[in-house]
Amino acid sequence: MPETKLLFEHAHDPQFRTLDGYLAKGGYQGLKKALGMDRQAVIDQVKASGLRGRGGAGFPTWIKWNGIEKEKKNPHYLICNADEGEPGTFKDKQLMEQTPFLLIEGMTIAGYATQADAGYIYIRGEFVDAARSLRQAIDQAYVQGYLGKNILGSGYDLDLYIHMGAGSYECGEESALMSSLMGERGMPRLKFPHAPLPTVAGLWDKPTVINNVETYACAPFILDRGGEWYATLGASTKNSRGTKLFSVSGHVNKPGNYEIEFGTTLVELLDMAGGIKGGKLKACIPGGSSVPIMTAEQVEKAVIGYEELWDDYKTMVGSGGCMFFNEHTCIVSLIWRTAQFYAMESCGKCTPCREGTKWMLQILDRIVRGHGQKGDMDLLLDVTKQIDGRSFCGLGDAAAWPVAGAIRAFPEEFEHFIEHGRSMVQSEEAKAMAPRWAQPAFSH
Amino acid sequence: MSELLQIGAQRPKAPEPDSLELRFSPTAVEELEALKTHYPDLKSCVLPTLWIAQREYGGHLSPEAIAEVAHRLSRSYAEVEGVATFYSMYNTAHKPGRHLIEVCTCLSCHMCGAYRIVDHLEEKLGIKLGETTPDGVFSIHEVECLDACDRAPVLQVGDQYVGPVTPETVDELLERLRSNPDSTVVQLADAVVKVHLRDGKA
Ligand SMILES: Cc1cc2nc3c(=O)[nH]c(=O)nc-3n(C[C@H](O)[C@H](O)[C@H](O)COP(=O)(O)O)c2cc1C
Ligand code: SF4
Ligand code: FES
Repeated sequence: MPETKLLFEHAHDPQFRTLDGYLAKGGYQGLKKALGMDRQAVIDQVKASGLRGRGGAGFPTWIKWNGIEKEKKNPHYLICNADEGEPGTFKDKQLMEQTPFLLIEGMTIAGYATQADAGYIYIRGEFVDAARSLRQAIDQAYVQGYLGKNILGSGYDLDLYIHMGAGSYECGEESALMSSLMGERGMPRLKFPHAPLPTVAGLWDKPTVINNVETYACAPFILDRGGEWYATLGASTKNSRGTKLFSVSGHVNKPGNYEIEFGTTLVELLDMAGGIKGGKLKACIPGGSSVPIMTAEQVEKAVIGYEELWDDYKTMVGSGGCMFFNEHTCIVSLIWRTAQFYAMESCGKCTPCREGTKWMLQILDRIVRGHGQKGDMDLLLDVTKQIDGRSFCGLGDAAAWPVAGAIRAFPEEFEHFIEHGRSMVQSEEAKAMAPRWAQPAFSH
Repeated sequence: MSELLQIGAQRPKAPEPDSLELRFSPTAVEELEALKTHYPDLKSCVLPTLWIAQREYGGHLSPEAIAEVAHRLSRSYAEVEGVATFYSMYNTAHKPGRHLIEVCTCLSCHMCGAYRIVDHLEEKLGIKLGETTPDGVFSIHEVECLDACDRAPVLQVGDQYVGPVTPETVDELLERLRSNPDSTVVQLADAVVKVHLRDGKA
């Protein structure tokens, strides 16, 4: 399948970033329809669409919206997770920069459906340009009555606030994000069933819906064209509907964001990104650094869908951060760097992740320095098992999967590096990528 | 192992409570008042107020800056220090140079040559990652994925992403920055504060 542009249809039109330009392209039709509907009917449209969260976990969006108390006894809140921190992902940034009104309209629809009083957009601190574009859009929406009191004469009020992060991957985890928004260290909070769901007691202990930028940006289309229409996109897959933005990077000729319909193949995605650069395809991390790596052979046949990637390859759509790597890529070195990321970003709250991520890094570090020891692969796998499923939040699991996945997919590279103290990939290109201290492992 | 993992080992001393000197400008005070209307409690203002402080104190969240934030939001020093030191974009460990160059070396950038950029910067500036040039103009840091992997290898200076970079474009960037007398570290903090506020104003 070729690219299917829904969210990104007008992304490159600078006018689309202004309210007038947005309206001229049919913007705000979805909200207008929603405001004329019963709140439950709005949620039913989202249910019919089959929309699942685009932040990584793929949770059905309508269940969250439906979980908010219908008889309002408390203030209700809405959060947009724009902390985009997953290595390999850069779609939310482009959405906020180029299509800010899709997010604002989507949040307003969600806010109406859940009777929210205020929405907070938590943007990672580095994304200043995206935040500026969104700021301008929010200001225009207020001036013309699309935000604030009595939106479009409907009697519904909503305020949207931008809240900037300050450098922490863990703040993308929803409960840690709430801690951070409430002025604390970005550490996760106790979860269901040990604590109420955020839809019952979230931000400031009030009913809260939290969704990803892309998830909200889908809502205007669902309300305008209908949930059933939306569900025709991706209908060839088991249970993935609509389009998905994939951020393609690594060794490709045209890195960037590509919007595809579920059911597209990874090979088609690679073609959209101009194909592999600098050698043959060797590996692909399809959904951000947290998901297990695939071999070139697996890429050949893979169809993009939540179930499809999981059932057949035990990997995931994740956040859509798709990285392709060519034959000069040393997988051990790649995973060493991935492990450093998680060791750096672990918040330190729970022992399996705080200690386990450092252990993995230490072991990988000695392998890359040429001092790997017999049994290191088993030791690494053992540590991943101690972390996976035993951590307080998803970061621990996300740290364990790529390491275990790479050992599964490329065992010979680890064996070789440990046995010979050198990388299996001996080429000038591979050497040029390595940190200076690791270069001896790439020279004969 | 990455030296960054050792950060936080030294903890600067908290100022004596009686020696507290408030340094927020009138604009900063106005901004803070506007921010307070965004949240139901004062605690939730800690992150944006730390950004204001980072700007007001020249790009560095010194113990004095943290003490002022604590004072203005009726929090304890320890609480605000605890929050500030959690986040990598708050410069608590030491005062950075006028321009802080943050090089992404995470997976996509690593595989597109980020470590050659680090080598080049270290050589050119005569400092290591995490250090500042003696004239106080440049600091270089290694950072995790900036989520601009389509521009790998990429780096951030102030509120701008630059990439893909090569040793040659890095040299041009250094020249441009050297002749820029304003601190891009302060500019970044200012830009972050402004996006919180309607029409960029309090
Ligand atoms: C360590 C970690 C980091 C995460 N980072 C992000 C992120 O940057 N953006 C995001 O939308 N979701 C992120 N998530 C997922 C969120 O916890 C949450 O599932 C998501 O915001 C829900 O929105 P959705 O249902 O629309 O996907 C992260 C999860 C974990 C465990
Ligand atoms: S798994 Fe534990 S240490 Fe790791 S980020 Fe989550 S709470 Fe923090
Ligand atoms: S790996 Fe450098 S920007 Fe993502």
